Amino acid sequence: MGVINDNISRRKFLSSAFMAVGLGFGLGTLGLRFLQFLSPTVKAKRFEEILVGTVNELSKSDAMPMEIAGSKILFLKTDAGLVAFSRKCTDLGCLVGWDKAKQQFICPCHQGVYDRNGKNIAGPPPRPLDRFPVITKGENIYVKIKA
Amino acid sequence: METTIERIKEKSLKDRAIDFIQKEVPDHMYSFSYCMGATPLILFLVAAATGILMTFYYIPFSERAYESVRAITSEVYLGWFIRGLHKISINLMIFTLFLHLVRVFVTRAYKTQGELKWLIGTMLFFTILAMGFTGYSLVYDQVSYWGMTVVMNMAEEMPLFGPPLAYLLRGGAEVSELTLLRLYDLHTKLLPLLLILLIGSHIIAITVLGFEKVEGSEGKHLFYPEHAMKVGLIAVGLLILIVNLVMIFPPTIGQMANPLEVASNVAPPWYFSAVYKWITIAPRQPALFGILLFCVVFVSYPYIDRFLTERGFDMGRVNIVIGSAAVLIFAILTLWNVVI
Repeated sequence: MGVINDNISRRKFLSSAFMAVGLGFGLGTLGLRFLQFLSPTVKAKRFEEILVGTVNELSKSDAMPMEIAGSKILFLKTDAGLVAFSRKCTDLGCLVGWDKAKQQFICPCHQGVYDRNGKNIAGPPPRPLDRFPVITKGENIYVKIKA
Repeated sequence: METTIERIKEKSLKDRAIDFIQKEVPDHMYSFSYCMGATPLILFLVAAATGILMTFYYIPFSERAYESVRAITSEVYLGWFIRGLHKISINLMIFTLFLHLVRVFVTRAYKTQGELKWLIGTMLFFTILAMGFTGYSLVYDQVSYWGMTVVMNMAEEMPLFGPPLAYLLRGGAEVSELTLLRLYDLHTKLLPLLLILLIGSHIIAITVLGFEKVEGSEGKHLFYPEHAMKVGLIAVGLLILIVNLVMIFPPTIGQMANPLEVASNVAPPWYFSAVYKWITIAPRQPALFGILLFCVVFVSYPYIDRFLTERGFDMGRVNIVIGSAAVLIFAILTLWNVVI
């Protein structure tokens, strides 16, 4: 007589467990696909040099805000020449404004203050304002930015 | 003969329904402070009805959203009234929710057997605050736009799930027209569904687990008619109050969202004022860590209470101290924000 494995409860448990793992895996994959559907694809951006104007145009005022390829920028004459600051506050992403009287950048959201060199001097911002490289070729001024 | 007896034994549907809701509730429920949970429920019904009405006019597209809210407020017949009801009922709902929360905390109604009520309640609390945030974002004025930007960046700063969550909510790395559509979907579909499920399970948990005993309250009275009538009275009182508040404070609308300029005042509604002031005065990482820690302690408080009680603390007193301190800090931060 051969050995008859009549331990039905164990067999039943193993088969249910196997099914549960499979079902969980399948539903999990489906859920992951749903999340992927909700994440829009990002177009790969690379650095480009973009012409913003001539030296004469940018010398007219000492602070000049502009929007280039979705980035909000402020051109400012500092001690080290013309600098392109990102207007995005390094704290929680509001926009900083240039206060001409105080010679400071002010973020109205949480009262962050930066000095004229972009250094964070008061309030919550954890680091100085970001800068974009400025390139001067002859009379033309370019800014290097991800576009 | 037999069939008649069978028929008498067999209860009608109406009788069974009455039996289902006919429970005895303890006598301390006569006191208003012990039945403040019903108040947010009534206000939720008002908010849901008026919210559904407004979806017939609102356009969840960044270039037209502000204009459609303005049209609801000043052109649509009774639009200002419907929007006012929605706004006032939600503000009152959050206010009464705070009161309910303080009462439950101070009387320690979350003690053993009642932890589930507390856990579901805290989830409800966060969901309702999320409804508040997504709701005022839809107006698409300056407060909405910069509120969205700041909140998404705060989410991004949170550890582990922060960055993917912020990416999903925004629909990208920056706030865009997808963001508004996502917040609209959350506000009108996913979060209400979650809210209804949570409210249902909160009520079921209460009927199954019962109430925490209160000293000096021995007697019991019937849920129907006595308690139901009282809730009905509260509902009527609330309706009168809301309608009056809408007349006194008709809904307004701020400046249109401008991604190129932050308005000088982008402070959120009063229920987020304390958090807003907190992140303004505290350095970034400690501030966010503090919020996270507060949430963890808040949700797991019944277990902290049990842990400390076993070690001989008089939690009744401790809770009164913590509760008063929390209310005081919340009030100070909120008023500080209003004054300055």
